[in-house]
Amino acid sequence: MKAIRGILLTCDSAVKQILLTMNEKSSFIIEDLDDYHVVIKADEEWRVRQELDAELEKNTYSLE
Amino acid sequence: MAGKRAAEESSFPFKRKRKNAEDDDDYVQVDNDDEYTPGGSSSFSRPAKINVSALTRKLAQTRHPNDVGDEINESSLVAHRQQQDNLVSHIFMDQDFSWLHLKPDHAARPLWIGPDDGHIILEAFSPIAEQAQDFLVAISEPVSRPAFIHEYKLTSYSLYAAVSVGLQTEDIIEVLNRLSKVPVPDSIVEFIRERTLSYGKVKLVLKHNKYFVESSHPETLQYLLKDSVIREARVHTQQVDNSIKAATFTTSKAPVKGALVIPGTREAEKKKDETVSGKSTAPSAAASKDAELFTSVVGVDADEVDEDDENVHAFEIDDAKVDEVKKRCSDLQYPMLEEYDFRNDTVNANLDIDLKPSTVIRPYQETSLSKMFGNGRARSGIIVLPCGAGKTLVGITAACTIKKSCLVLCTSSVSVMQWRQQFMQWSNVTDKQIAVFTADQKEKFAGDSGIVVSTYSMVANTHNRSHESKKMMEFLTSREWGFILLDEVHVVPAAMFRRVVTTIKAHSKLGLTATLVREDDKIADLNYMIGPKLYEANWMDLAAKGHIANVQCAEVWCPMTPEFYREYLREQSRKRMLLYCMNPRKFQACQFLIKYHEDRGDKIIVFSDNVYALEAYARKLGKLYIHGGTSQVERMRILQNFQHNPAVNTIFLSKVGDTSIDLPEATCLIQISSHFGSRRQEAQRLGRILRAKRRNDEGFNAFFYSLVSKDTQEMFYSTKRQQFLIDQGYAFKVITHLDGLEELPDLVYKTRDEQIELISSVLLASESEADLGTDVRAGEGDLPGTITSKDFGANKFPAVDRTTGSLSALSGGQHMSYIEQNKSANKKLAREVAPRHKLFAKRDKDMATARREARTGRG
Repeated sequence: MKAIRGILLTCDSAVKQILLTMNEKSSFIIEDLDDYHVVIKADEEWRVRQELDAELEKNTYSLE
Repeated sequence: MAGKRAAEESSFPFKRKRKNAEDDDDYVQVDNDDEYTPGGSSSFSRPAKINVSALTRKLAQTRHPNDVGDEINESSLVAHRQQQDNLVSHIFMDQDFSWLHLKPDHAARPLWIGPDDGHIILEAFSPIAEQAQDFLVAISEPVSRPAFIHEYKLTSYSLYAAVSVGLQTEDIIEVLNRLSKVPVPDSIVEFIRERTLSYGKVKLVLKHNKYFVESSHPETLQYLLKDSVIREARVHTQQVDNSIKAATFTTSKAPVKGALVIPGTREAEKKKDETVSGKSTAPSAAASKDAELFTSVVGVDADEVDEDDENVHAFEIDDAKVDEVKKRCSDLQYPMLEEYDFRNDTVNANLDIDLKPSTVIRPYQETSLSKMFGNGRARSGIIVLPCGAGKTLVGITAACTIKKSCLVLCTSSVSVMQWRQQFMQWSNVTDKQIAVFTADQKEKFAGDSGIVVSTYSMVANTHNRSHESKKMMEFLTSREWGFILLDEVHVVPAAMFRRVVTTIKAHSKLGLTATLVREDDKIADLNYMIGPKLYEANWMDLAAKGHIANVQCAEVWCPMTPEFYREYLREQSRKRMLLYCMNPRKFQACQFLIKYHEDRGDKIIVFSDNVYALEAYARKLGKLYIHGGTSQVERMRILQNFQHNPAVNTIFLSKVGDTSIDLPEATCLIQISSHFGSRRQEAQRLGRILRAKRRNDEGFNAFFYSLVSKDTQEMFYSTKRQQFLIDQGYAFKVITHLDGLEELPDLVYKTRDEQIELISSVLLASESEADLGTDVRAGEGDLPGTITSKDFGANKFPAVDRTTGSLSALSGGQHMSYIEQNKSANKKLAREVAPRHKLFAKRDKDMATARREARTGRG
């Protein structure tokens, strides 16, 4: 029996789509549950959060 | 910035009250130091001055209600406040201005002045804000003007403009000091002195077709003449016998506005009445009437420049060296203002045009023109008015005032025709006097003088021309123009502009624009080539006075459906845009808003830059649409129906509707796709509903919606696009959920199947469909930068199309007829809702047992 430590992420459907695309580059999703939930590898969590932030920031306009 | 200042203020409220009560006597003394006391205002007769006395009075009035100070136990409170200040001051770092001590009566004064960057914050809710605003617009650049706090910035160019309309350095500082809550910082005083020292002191005047360098300060002229370039350009007249210094210049009376009447103004009407009743008024009386009309805080007559010295001094320079002298003067920090004494120009033939008697111009148009013709001469400069506020009429009125040959330059061939049509509509110009010069039409006017309307690129073109246009250009360059009108000045590339300005000999120039976008350095070029900004209208003011409609702006966020977002993330390139335009949720929001506003009785325009999306939306929702491919006949029929048929309340327009189609019936605007982050387009589209016919109905609001797909680039662009309007004082509400959307009967794309079908058709669309504005083709004379350049003729399309493609594509293998029409059931299956995952089954079970246990535990 092999066990991987995972984390359940709850997100909206758009963010889930971004996660799925990121997953294609380097796999970190353990289980794709439904539109709002995914389980990802625990040790990848920090990296995933960073990348997600960067991705979402692209669509924000700031004055500077 | 505003927030910080407000915070500063709020940390002083108690101190303020106390001081008001105590230092009342001080305040009066401060006033007595000045030469204009409130009592002396009646004897104060010079027409155009900064109306200091009125200000003082206002200040005194607003101060009184605040006098009711209550005695509080102060000392402990002050100490407490100081402590608080120390606590927060570190947050503001360099921006901590608490060391600027407030004037005792600061509550009655509306301005904050930033000591290091020249930013001025105005409290727009102050009772004297209106006067202060007039003053600030004259001396500084408006940065942002929302409802309560306005931000202005002092720049070299704004001060240059202030001087050019006749304000004096000391007056500027004096009035600033009166309006400011804090004493004007030394750095700002210094800045103002430094900038106004040399600006506007020298004028280049074309009189009797000779160029004169004119100034009211003989020392300045002496200084300029020390320069070798300018000395050489000087033409010596017979004044050898005079050895006195000042007399070496021709000296003459300073120009006064006198009896010049701008047509279409109230005064012009008055004039007419007077001539009817047989009374004649002295010019001085007319001038004083002017002052009443145009003066609020700031006078617009330039007489005051010469108030100590009634005379101006001038020397003549060689025509051929005018450009050199101009450049040299700019280098010497004495940029020349150009003025044209058109009433005394006898060499150029007069053009007999006037506004039609029925034409009456609005007060703000009058104000802007009075800045231009302040001293009876025509100044060159730029006038900024919102879309739909009648820029064209300002231009036409200016032309009718100067009454000389006039050249109008605009950005596209369509606007050429519009200008011509407007000239015919508002003035009594005859068909023969007005000519058009475009790629298709090359006319000359009959007689000695007339109007020519053309595009920038036709005039600035340096490539080979046809024989006809060459001849036309010779005609244009061979003569002197009294007036050159430059439409949409902000889009013209600097190089092209320079070519136009140097090839055409014009005595005065007027630039018109709605959106003087400020962050690039183009503005500096405009200042040099045309002149300073003479007037900038406040959008909110015009809306409040009913000249343009009140608009409610909203941004509607439409979440992407998972399928669309998935494709969006996978798709690179331009097709992304098609995906976020075609988002089914956006479809639904659009349908809902149309339904809602049609029920309210609004007439709706839906804008889409993307033609593919435009057609898809219009067909799905069963509405009429117009794009570049729509034939002229069909277009007219649709527009007529929209205007008169109560059954047709919505039309879909592509880019063609941005400017050229005038629909005063429209009261609601929905935007589904747009040109990236173009602030100009946003303003232009808003302009479509600003002139709404119903704007003067009580409580009338026009609506402006932007539909935006969430989590896509569109969010970025949308925010960017809004910046200009936000700076003008518009507020965008964000709507994240449309109430009642789900209950709408026959909602489109409700089921997942339909949505999936939609996405597959979107994915099949070729890449070129994603392009914006493909229906609009630029004509020969159109500027590349104008997003609204357009040309409707179908005959312009090239006869032969060269395309590359695979063999199968060329033989029809990728044609639509090969699409599988019946979806395989498998494809649908894969996207059907997955049953709840078993991971949750366990969790649910655990939760259920926990609940049960809790219940049994209680029971």
